[in-house]
Amino acid sequence: MLDVRAWLLWALTVLVAASSCRNPLYVVLLLLIVALTDVSFSAEKERRGFPSLFRFAALAVPLSAAFNALTVHFGETVLFRLPGWLPLLGGRVTLEALVFGLMNGLVVTLIFGGFSVFNRVTPVHDLVRLAPQAFHEAGVVVSIALTFIPETNRSLNRIREAQAVRGHRVRGLRDWLPIVVPLLVSGLERSMGLAEAMVARGYGAVSDRSHPLRLQLLLAGGLLALLSGWLGWLFFPGPTPLALSVLAAGVCLVVGAVWLAGKEVPRTRYRSRRWRIRDTLVALGSVLTLAAVQLPIPMIGRDTLYHSPYPRLSLPSFHPLMALLLLGLLVPAAVAIRRRPR
Amino acid sequence: MIHLDRLTYAYPGGLTPVLQDVTLHVAEREFVLVTGPSGAGKSTLLRCLNGLVPHFSGGTLSGRVSVAGHDPVADGPQVLSRFVGFVFQDPEAQFVMDRVENEIAFALENQAVPPDEMRARVEEVLGLLDLTSLRDRPLETLSGGERQRVAIAAALALRPRILVLDEPTSQLDPLSAQDVLETLVRLRDRIELTILLAEHRLERVLPHVDRLVYLQGCGQPVLSGWPREILGQMDLTPPLITLGKALGWKPLPLTVDEARALARAQVASGRREISRPHPEPPPSRHAASTSTFSEALLEVERLSFSYGANRVLCRVSLAVGRGELVALVGPNGSGKTTLLRCIVGLLNPDQGRILLEGESVAGRDTADLCRRIGYLPQNPNDLLFADTVLEELEVTLRNLGLSDAPPVDPDELLDRLHLREVATSYPRDLSVGQRQRVALGAVTVTRPRLLLLDEPTRGMDYPAKTELVRLLRQWQAEGTGVLLVTHDVELVAQAADRVALLVGGEIVADGPPSPVLTESPMFAPQMARLFPHSGWLTVGDVLSHLRPLTSLPLCGKLSPDDNFSFPGE
Repeated sequence: MLDVRAWLLWALTVLVAASSCRNPLYVVLLLLIVALTDVSFSAEKERRGFPSLFRFAALAVPLSAAFNALTVHFGETVLFRLPGWLPLLGGRVTLEALVFGLMNGLVVTLIFGGFSVFNRVTPVHDLVRLAPQAFHEAGVVVSIALTFIPETNRSLNRIREAQAVRGHRVRGLRDWLPIVVPLLVSGLERSMGLAEAMVARGYGAVSDRSHPLRLQLLLAGGLLALLSGWLGWLFFPGPTPLALSVLAAGVCLVVGAVWLAGKEVPRTRYRSRRWRIRDTLVALGSVLTLAAVQLPIPMIGRDTLYHSPYPRLSLPSFHPLMALLLLGLLVPAAVAIRRRPR
Repeated sequence: MIHLDRLTYAYPGGLTPVLQDVTLHVAEREFVLVTGPSGAGKSTLLRCLNGLVPHFSGGTLSGRVSVAGHDPVADGPQVLSRFVGFVFQDPEAQFVMDRVENEIAFALENQAVPPDEMRARVEEVLGLLDLTSLRDRPLETLSGGERQRVAIAAALALRPRILVLDEPTSQLDPLSAQDVLETLVRLRDRIELTILLAEHRLERVLPHVDRLVYLQGCGQPVLSGWPREILGQMDLTPPLITLGKALGWKPLPLTVDEARALARAQVASGRREISRPHPEPPPSRHAASTSTFSEALLEVERLSFSYGANRVLCRVSLAVGRGELVALVGPNGSGKTTLLRCIVGLLNPDQGRILLEGESVAGRDTADLCRRIGYLPQNPNDLLFADTVLEELEVTLRNLGLSDAPPVDPDELLDRLHLREVATSYPRDLSVGQRQRVALGAVTVTRPRLLLLDEPTRGMDYPAKTELVRLLRQWQAEGTGVLLVTHDVELVAQAADRVALLVGGEIVADGPPSPVLTESPMFAPQMARLFPHSGWLTVGDVLSHLRPLTSLPLCGKLSPDDNFSFPGE
């Protein structure tokens, strides 16, 4: 019910926030936001079970904490010592290392949560449709492949059963033949049928487009600028406005070339739903959070994002305005709750 | 609208042309039904109309084709896609996209229709086919009938003037098939469209058809004309038409409703001479069914099975005796296939037990069980992988370690299956009916005592079906028990000794065919609907009762012993 592009921005923001934040208070806040979004977008049936996010956390957090505590020997609050002859593990085990590992586990869970929500709410096909017009054919091919995989899987199961019924047992490599042959042949037959169906519906109706020379020049120039800008940036470290502007120009040229190539494609794209207000809200919320965690805006306490437990454990600092801005990621959940009939 | 003039076409490498000197003219807004035995070139003919033949298939074509003022041979299928919408047999095999809307928009995207107009057109087609409520649904969650409706919608998106459908219902269960056919009839009334439909299930479409085209195959001329006129010249017709022809009804009735008055008159004219009171079961093979099969081969007792929380089978009890043919019927998703898979040990039931010749099958290996059970899965293609037909049979024997002393001589079995002449062919090159028989051979070469058949007549034409019935009778006579899962009511009417009705995972009726079939409206064969309360199921039943009463001569080769039926219902 939200646009894929809005979701893409949301997921990106979660990812950026998770990777730039090491303050347990904020991480827990973000985790709660993601969990709430997860719950509000899962089907009624799935909601009764234990959310997959918590199951993942139950595994990842202790693992990460134990690993960090056993392998990192910094910190001042010593819990106990392991005998020194143990490779890697030997030495003191500190509370700080344990806390840091815990933190990392939570961040990993957060990233997982962001991806799992994104994966749940956006069909892969919709993502494929986001590909620029210039890559239309590639998009169609990927789209077909995506429907082919589950279909092939079902077909594999049916064939295995059919062969088992004839007394077939898989013992060696050769025994796969009766399964692989029907699978391949039926796959080929299906592809032929699909190709026929696509042609009958006018796929490839318009003659092969030619790439005009100016388009090729544009693309070549863009790539050249991109490369030289990147090299200049590598060889002259520090703020080099020239290299950066060449780089930016290169990016612009390449994007422009792809866009122009897309306009040459004599096809249009169907979008069932228009961009609505709630998509704008989600995008705005995400941009707000993104700005808060990435841009050096005064007054919002960006430096409270990073908190290190080393060398001695201390309470992490907390800035209410920062926390408020992180709530920008909560917009999808809010939209979902408003729309759900009571 | 469509003009074919002396069209002759041969596939690449084909020795004889599939279509020979076909001349056919179809006017605008006509509803044309194309029928004929399998292999007669129905699909090829339809593919000529949008240029898939010869552009996609290759081969040599001569003669003239003109469709909506265009020449498909010169212009090719992409250009013709604007004038001819094409719907294929298998709904799954024609989908490119993931969801209903996107699938419909695919053709529009290819023709670069501007986005706003595209949205309007998708909306229009969704409304036309009653798909508006399904617009967001992923295609794999739709039922067979809904999928085929989406395929029709996708074909209509470009507003073609001709809609061509190649056996669109052959992969569907009866309810879905009806859904699709009713959709077509509605479409024909609502928009200006010329429809060409290749179809086996004549009885449902016949009343709405303007023209019937009968491809006889084997180089014989194509018959084309008014349905009643052509039906008179066809050998394979639905039971109703067969009866009408046998009794000399004029004009031939196309629906059961049309025939009712004629049937009543027929019975009334003979009533004085009927010696027995009417509602008595016919003295056919059915009468003996309960007594002779006392010796149970397979017993299923209170079997329950669930997929997760979803209960598929609930306390199912069923028995098959030696030499008995039990038909298991029921709507889609009622658990018929699941029951078969439990019996051969592919699934483990939650409760209940299965006895094969008195022994429990629990914990037995599938391969081991299959020395005694022949299980034919729905799709014969899943089974076939060997290079020749004969090898296909030998593989089963080898798998089960029976090659040294085969219970049946493979050559002899091929004779019986009428596959001798294709013994060295590649199985997948054969026709649907032949492939089904090869698969049947591959599972019966162990000489099983019990045969489980899952939808064996799917996509089979009429002669292939009678062939199958004949074969099953032979095996029954040798004591083989058969459990036949099918949607084909006319097949059940003519072959079954007993019928079990499975609905929602429970057996709701089990007994001789005539009471079970006539009591449920969904499964009543045409004859049972025409002569209610008579207990007659097949044309043979009706004729054996009516012939003594009528002085009308029986035409041609019909006799009461012939069990004429047609794929359908």
